[in-house]
Amino acid sequence: MSGLPLHFAAFVMNTTGHIIQGTWRRPTARQADFNNLDLWVDLARTLERGGFDAIFFADVVGLYAPYRGDERKYVEAGLQVPSNDPSVLASAIAYATEHLGIAFTASVLQEHPFNFARRISTLDHASKGRIAWNIVTNYLPNASRNFGLDGLTKHDERYAWADEYVDVTYKLWEGSWEDDALVQDRETGVHADYDKIHRIDHEGPRYRVEGPHLVSPSPQRTPLLFQAGTSEAGRTFAAKNAEAVFIVAPNVEAAARDTADIRARAVRHGRSPHDLKFFQGLHFVVGSTEEEARRKSDELDEWIDYDAQLSHMSGAVGIDFGHEDLDRPVGQLETEGVQSILGWINDLVTDRPPTLRDVAHYTAHNGRVTGTPEQIADKLERWRAAGVDGINVVNAEIPGSYEEFVDHVVPVLRERGLARREYAGGTLRQKLFGRGDRLPDTHPATRYRGAFGTAPAGEANP
Amino acid sequence: MSSKKRLILNLFEMNCVSHITHGLWRLPDNNRERFNDIEYWTELARLLEAGGFDAVFLADVVGTYDTFRGSAATAIRQGLQIPNNDPASVVPAMAAVTRHLGFGITFSTTYEPPFAWARRVSTLDHLTKGRVGWNIVTSYLPNAARNFGRDGEVEHDLRFEIADEYLDVLYKLWEGSWDEDAIVADRAGNLFADPAKIRPIDHEGRWFKVEGPHLPSPSRQRTPVLFTATASGAGTRFAGKHAEVVFTGGPDAASLARTIAGIREAAVAAGRRADDVRFVTMAGVVVAPTEAEAKAKLARYQELISPDGYLAHASLPWDPAAYPPETKLKDVGVDSGRAGRFRSIDPEQTVGEFLAGFGDLTRQPLLAVGDPEQVADEIERWLDEVGIDGINLLQYHSYDTARDFIEFVVPVLRERGRLRREYDERETLRDRIFGEGDRLPDRHYGARYRGGAHLPASGIADPQPALSS
Repeated sequence: MSGLPLHFAAFVMNTTGHIIQGTWRRPTARQADFNNLDLWVDLARTLERGGFDAIFFADVVGLYAPYRGDERKYVEAGLQVPSNDPSVLASAIAYATEHLGIAFTASVLQEHPFNFARRISTLDHASKGRIAWNIVTNYLPNASRNFGLDGLTKHDERYAWADEYVDVTYKLWEGSWEDDALVQDRETGVHADYDKIHRIDHEGPRYRVEGPHLVSPSPQRTPLLFQAGTSEAGRTFAAKNAEAVFIVAPNVEAAARDTADIRARAVRHGRSPHDLKFFQGLHFVVGSTEEEARRKSDELDEWIDYDAQLSHMSGAVGIDFGHEDLDRPVGQLETEGVQSILGWINDLVTDRPPTLRDVAHYTAHNGRVTGTPEQIADKLERWRAAGVDGINVVNAEIPGSYEEFVDHVVPVLRERGLARREYAGGTLRQKLFGRGDRLPDTHPATRYRGAFGTAPAGEANP
Repeated sequence: MSSKKRLILNLFEMNCVSHITHGLWRLPDNNRERFNDIEYWTELARLLEAGGFDAVFLADVVGTYDTFRGSAATAIRQGLQIPNNDPASVVPAMAAVTRHLGFGITFSTTYEPPFAWARRVSTLDHLTKGRVGWNIVTSYLPNAARNFGRDGEVEHDLRFEIADEYLDVLYKLWEGSWDEDAIVADRAGNLFADPAKIRPIDHEGRWFKVEGPHLPSPSRQRTPVLFTATASGAGTRFAGKHAEVVFTGGPDAASLARTIAGIREAAVAAGRRADDVRFVTMAGVVVAPTEAEAKAKLARYQELISPDGYLAHASLPWDPAAYPPETKLKDVGVDSGRAGRFRSIDPEQTVGEFLAGFGDLTRQPLLAVGDPEQVADEIERWLDEVGIDGINLLQYHSYDTARDFIEFVVPVLRERGRLRREYDERETLRDRIFGEGDRLPDRHYGARYRGGAHLPASGIADPQPALSS
């Protein structure tokens, strides 16, 4: 979109096998040690050394849908099981760093919005305004059944659920406390001003929440809002709510098309096209020569467990490909699972019907950028020109993938004006947009500012 | 010396300004208003570990105190547990700067689904290497209920019925879902975990339906150290079955001793040993090199105390200030139903006498004010005569209360064999308290699910695909 430096996030998960499966077995890979806090604190420090804007934690709260009839493959491969809660790492990472943003995924399924809003505000205080929330619904039937439901909620209904969920949190974050509510006057003994704290009295189809919010306004109030998924309902949700959108476009053309589409939708919702930043997921294989990079890429392929790759896509889409011939065309599929994946496969393979083998290779190969730091910079320029604002860096190894990127690629990107030389001050939102710590007035959450002035906190209920 | 009961030493904390000594946040150099900053917690954690504390015990509520005078106005002006931040969120940063300090985290079983909480606790137990305790509460504030979609408080005994099933779900996830050796991590054989050793829990009860499996692998303690803080009838049965540490009090030592005896009896009735439950009570300690200095310090604290804060905290449903102080309670229609929490009512008492009890720091049952030897004497008396096992140290001033205790009292208690001189390496919180290893003892109810016993399914991949059926 412009010649601004790109933003960088590290795309990780609190588990052994996140995106590129099988590489935990490499001798230098440490991701299987994810139970250990030091792994994450050390990684966060490495990322901060490299000027990364954020560490971005993916998450799911269940096992993927059966592959070859059951969940055996996921367990054997460590494919997102076992997995730990990413939000729990946040305060330790915040304490160990000064600038790094901390983005984590949380499904509307897993926690009541009142409690979730409170945890986010606590962490935004603790990190001095560096928290981002990746808003997700849920595409795993097992996750639904972990939370008392009989199965997956329909795709579009999940977004209606998310709409109400974020609405509750917006009311708590933006509307419940006025900026100067906290007085803390030792002389008079007045700690906070009762007249500036308000109940929200939310009543909707799923939630009834009285309030007030229990936490005073944090530096960002609403955390930076991430969203992923480019289904029809997902695009509409992103256009309304997201400040950062995570995409895994198969090529720059698709990225240009999708970013333009979502920006245009945002405008229709009264927002500016500049209110959204797009982060493309990419994995880098770096060599000091092109030949070395290719050799490393070939070697990486030898470690990849393609059966696990296909199981991941299969489980996410919710259709068991486990017994199918890899050369079977994918065809048209109806799914309540992740719809974006199928769209991207169709974008990628245009000269013939895409097959299951294409699906198996998609996340392992498609986002891979192989080359010298200079060649990587060339490719990133093309992504930037397509309207991408940032890169979510996928790893094959923790911490190796990031150490390599920080030590060898970032210096070249800085030379080329593709990465920032130093951190801008302030909150995560200020660093990304440069126009303050809080949501811009064009964001729908801001309609709750001052909206609850007539309902003092805790006045007797009817 | 060696037969002496060792003191469990916790600091009583809450992620807010005015936890339980209302008005004292105004004391010079009191740090409490820094609670939003993570550095408040990391500095505190380092201080406590340097002083040999066993744990920091974090209280919590999920609503405001809006009964007194019909609104939350008093609570908000006083900073009485509002703003009030999530306690569990600050633990990882404290864990990162310490190696031994334990964490007692309050969380309610009434409003949140068990699956996500089980996972959060296991994650915490992994990253602290086994230093997590959970203070199980069922929530009492009407506003809390209305924050989570209910019309009002869930009835007391029903809350314990829900909590009992909640715990059952958690034991299945923590103890039963993963076998000890499920993680193989065989790089050469491309096998990370063994599906035959991981199973769903397929829990279907009156309140919860949870499929599983648990998402984290077994942590050091699996089940965190289980705290409760109750002494009601339903609470006593619940504690007898579940609790490992009970945080309790009462108006005086005699009633505390009765509570302890009752819960030990309930534990035995639940198939446990009487000493499988340890008892911690709140302790007010004001210590200085001399008794006179300590008394002067207490007097300074008393001056800033805000009785209004105590009245609001007690959720008093009537306002004593609205009556002449000489009025008898029976004449203003105040009966035990309008006593609020924490207090019993004597109808012959006057409003003035009733009011005087609120915010009177000397009414603390375990209150030790004096020089280091006097304070240690009093703590030892409670250990040996009343039968407590430990204290939650009440803070008047943060961090002076903890600093004073560490400087003056800890050396004396160490000298007397009541506190250890150093931590054991690699010790979990449970092992430190009980000395019987990292896990729940076999005789605890939660242990019944080990190895998948009492669970409907076996491994997730055999003999039938249990999850996909």
